[in-house]
Amino acid sequence: MINIGIIGLGRMGITHYSIINSHPNVKIKAVVDTSSLVLTLVKKYIDNIHTYTDYNELFEKESLDAVIICTPPTLHYPIARKAAEKGIHVFCEKPFTTKMTQADELATLFEQKQLVNQVGYVNRSNDIFQSIKKYIKDGIIGDVVRFKSEMYSRTITKSEGGNTWRDCREKGGGAIFEMASHAIDLVNYIIGKPDKVTGSSLTSIYSKNVEDAVNATFLYKNGISGTLYVNWSDESYRKPTNKLEVLGSKGKILADQHEIKIFLKKELPHYHLHEGWNIRYITDVFKPVPFYVRGNEFTSQLYHFIECMTNRDKINLCSFRDARDTLEVIEEIFTDYEQNGKF
Amino acid sequence: MQKIDKIILGDNQFFGINHMSQEKAQQLAEKFFDINNIYHVYQLAFQAGIRAVMLNSNDRAKDICEYFRANNSKYSEINWYPSIPYPHKYANLISEKGIFPTINDVLLKDNTALGVLGMMTKGGAAVLGKDVIKIMQMLIDVEMKMFKGLNTKVIFLQNIITDLFLGFGIREIFSAYCDYIRNKYNVLPGFITQNMPILKAKLELWGIEGVVICSSFNKIGYLMSPNIEAYIETSDNNDTAKYQLMAMSTLASGAIPAKEAYEFINKQKIQSVVFGASSKGHIEETMKLIQI
Repeated sequence: MINIGIIGLGRMGITHYSIINSHPNVKIKAVVDTSSLVLTLVKKYIDNIHTYTDYNELFEKESLDAVIICTPPTLHYPIARKAAEKGIHVFCEKPFTTKMTQADELATLFEQKQLVNQVGYVNRSNDIFQSIKKYIKDGIIGDVVRFKSEMYSRTITKSEGGNTWRDCREKGGGAIFEMASHAIDLVNYIIGKPDKVTGSSLTSIYSKNVEDAVNATFLYKNGISGTLYVNWSDESYRKPTNKLEVLGSKGKILADQHEIKIFLKKELPHYHLHEGWNIRYITDVFKPVPFYVRGNEFTSQLYHFIECMTNRDKINLCSFRDARDTLEVIEEIFTDYEQNGKF
Repeated sequence: MQKIDKIILGDNQFFGINHMSQEKAQQLAEKFFDINNIYHVYQLAFQAGIRAVMLNSNDRAKDICEYFRANNSKYSEINWYPSIPYPHKYANLISEKGIFPTINDVLLKDNTALGVLGMMTKGGAAVLGKDVIKIMQMLIDVEMKMFKGLNTKVIFLQNIITDLFLGFGIREIFSAYCDYIRNKYNVLPGFITQNMPILKAKLELWGIEGVVICSSFNKIGYLMSPNIEAYIETSDNNDTAKYQLMAMSTLASGAIPAKEAYEFINKQKIQSVVFGASSKGHIEETMKLIQI
């Protein structure tokens, strides 16, 4: 049995609890939250579970194999560090950390200690984006020339007082940390980490202290270039939507979480792809999951985390190192905008 | 257990929901931006013989309910199958503020819940711990307000909520939901789920019966966890006096041609099908193909 603790029972914490509780080899031993209301309910309705308001106490008193960290981002670093000291595997929600020094340190620390480490950039577990990664790796559209990574949602649609964590970059708020991080991570996952970031612009639409929209250009030494455009104040979208467009020397791929359109200059019978436009829907590429809450990818990513614990040869789909690289691009966008984007 | 309608018109097509393609979803959202286009489709469905409608308690549903209430004499034969809540209403707020402040906001906005605010701030955790079921009941009432006066047959809990609580495995939530729906609304309790075999096994274990379970059910196993085999086995062995099964996503958002989809569905032991269509041709074709 793998003994797990969950730290932070907000929206992601309860989602992860529900999913991982379905795993036959996992026992949730304890939860941590600062809300006494939440802990009262956990104690009342769930048998054989320990509750803590302080994560330090969790690490002192419980014998755990792994923790799932779903606290506000600024707490990820001290908690993950403590887990490493105790030799505990960690799944951490995105955006991992908000500081490069911390991300570097954690990535190295977990590698040295050979502990499983994963960050919740959930697009990497989406069946569509996994298919695209394979298509591009297999070269079906030839060499990548250009790409666009976009994400839209109606998360922030009115002016707020500026007092919430969402309106504070240091706390992991803002469209870049909260949303664009997914679109950037998708670029790193499918195309690779850019060598240079330029042309960044950040726009506040409703938020007082942070950006609601961002765009940037990514350049690569091998000649590839691409753009990022993310807006979380776009009310024309009912649900958060990722869009990816990749142009290659032999064709083009257009995708969102639900469908892939592939344009090929020449047919590829081995892949059942003909010349011109082809469409693959999520219904063509999905892999069923043992228990569904909010989307296949949420289950896939947590089951993958558990699998990496039991099969140590398995390479993690989104390691701390991967998330550190995503943070590096994020920091480059901030720096580029500060240096070149302002009058 | 009172029998549910065999064929029910769903509402995803009206609200820009398509699980396969966001582009299709957007096209539908544009088409049904004018609510009169929605009423027109209902009209076509009723003309084709449909007498049952499933509707999620989102913002636009309020207007739809209002319309049917105003024309109640014309539509008195129609059975309503509401599903609650509209999850996106809560999702953003929960990320930003946490679960309880969100619930507080929703109840306060409805002006029904000054008592809850007091409970949460003054009485604190102990009081809330005892009365969480009461809060759930108040939330149900807030969501059900818009359906007042319509002829309701089943009240469904949306799959995001059902499956979240199913993962936690809390019997009390499920039994309290069913009791409240039966006692206060005098209709059948229902659960929408993407984990039908797991939910049904749990309900049996907990001794919760007289429930309608609505789940994806299609030939390719799309949105059917843990797998299609478990669905077929569960429905084959189902006692319909205890549980009635309703299939949704029978076409897997259009991935399966209708004829092929319903050839499969007609072989399953399913008591009801909810489907989405927005043209006369599709509605009539589906009515003909469904032979459960």
